Amino acid sequence: MSDFDHIFRKYHNLLYLYANKFVRNESISLDIVQDVFASIWEKGKLELHDEHLKAYLFNAVKNSCFNYLKHERVVQDHQQRNIERIMQLEQKYYKSGEQSLIEKENLDKIYKAINALSVINREVIELSRFEGLKNKEIAKKLKLPVRTVETRLFRALSELKEKLSKNNLRILLNICVLIKS
Amino acid sequence: MISRYLNGDLSRTEQEKLVNWIKDSPKNQRLFFELKDVWDASHEGSNEKVNEQLLKFYRKQATQKRTKSISSWKSVIAVAAILVFGLVIGSVMQIQFGQDNSQLESFYVPKGSRSEVTLADGTKVNLNSNSYLKFDTHFSKNNRIVHLEGEAYFEVKSDKNHPFTVQTNNFDIVVTGTKFNVSNYDDDQLIGATLAEGKIELFTDDHQQFEIKPGEKISLDRKTNHYELNEADVKSETAWINSEFIFKEIPFPDLIKRLERWYDVQISYSSNEFNEMVYSGSFKNQETIWQVLDALKLTTPIDYEKISFRKFKLNYKPM
Repeated sequence: MSDFDHIFRKYHNLLYLYANKFVRNESISLDIVQDVFASIWEKGKLELHDEHLKAYLFNAVKNSCFNYLKHERVVQDHQQRNIERIMQLEQKYYKSGEQSLIEKENLDKIYKAINALSVINREVIELSRFEGLKNKEIAKKLKLPVRTVETRLFRALSELKEKLSKNNLRILLNICVLIKS
Repeated sequence: MISRYLNGDLSRTEQEKLVNWIKDSPKNQRLFFELKDVWDASHEGSNEKVNEQLLKFYRKQATQKRTKSISSWKSVIAVAAILVFGLVIGSVMQIQFGQDNSQLESFYVPKGSRSEVTLADGTKVNLNSNSYLKFDTHFSKNNRIVHLEGEAYFEVKSDKNHPFTVQTNNFDIVVTGTKFNVSNYDDDQLIGATLAEGKIELFTDDHQQFEIKPGEKISLDRKTNHYELNEADVKSETAWINSEFIFKEIPFPDLIKRLERWYDVQISYSSNEFNEMVYSGSFKNQETIWQVLDALKLTTPIDYEKISFRKFKLNYKPM
């Protein structure tokens, strides 16, 4: 069914990023996404309107992740306590109805925003996110102090955040204008 | 500290500090999670990964399905619905064998067509592609024995005193007045009979006896020589009579054999990847072989090429 392929291709990467955001483990994230796709395959949810389907997919992934973390938590050692606390806070944050950019935006927009960053900020984002280098490794490569890399990364993320949320605002404004006219 | 948390090593004291800072105010919390969100979102996705995962998904579905029971066939890969190929009526080739006394009459329906025969006792037989129906010239109301190779749907004229017998190489089916489908192509691993109405009895080579009720299907796995009685979907089993092609959870090699018979083509494939796949689907009415292969291409990681007249080759091609 080409419909299914289409949906799979459209959402797979987003759902994977979304899952990985919570479980921080590539293979588990991929498994969760596979299972969620299996559920729409079996339940015949394919006929849902695209918006509903999207909402269903993200919700299902989120729930699976939280479920997974609930079971996983027991096994974690004390070393991880602080990180775990942050994760719990994060879950609470998203349970309260906050939406992730991954859910709101499409990847193209995010990449576009990255491309629009200043060169020095873009560099650290690309090295860390696309090439998977740690801050220390980036510092070595760019011959900069780690501190500088950290600052640049922070600035890059802040800038991206501004850009992406501004975009949303503009869309909202456009809708208001449309309604008025 | 945030960037160190996201992409570096945070010492335990720093971790502690960060947690407290986040908890300190909703504003901090929002800032932190928004930044982390940007971080999480700005990751390179590759099409390769999607393709690989999609293939993995299909494989998983295929292998899982095989173990599920027949009743769970809702996850149809509804393949496609296309146009009529044209039932080739009257393409039955009547062959007369021998000049001696024990004359055998034989109907043969070539690949790519189907046909209907009415026997001397009033029994109607639909013959599927590449099937032989043979019977003695003495076949009459009182002597109702036929031999079948291939697939046929029988509507047997009721006569309690003179049972109607369908002989195959592996079993005999004895009935009085029923409607049933028999499939025993000699290149199929699974052969068997499905009953639509009435009652049939099946006697095997090795002297087993089965009674089959309406809606049931008996199948013989020729590899293990094991008989199994199951619930059947009579409608899909007999859809071929109406020139429809419905298949449920059949292994890839069987699907290919059916297509070959149905379209009188040869389809070769080499990859083992195909063998683990199970198919469900329906072709409403006689699309061309090209259309069927195109439909398959949509649902499975294959590509096809035409090698020569009526010969196709399937290649494994991850989507």
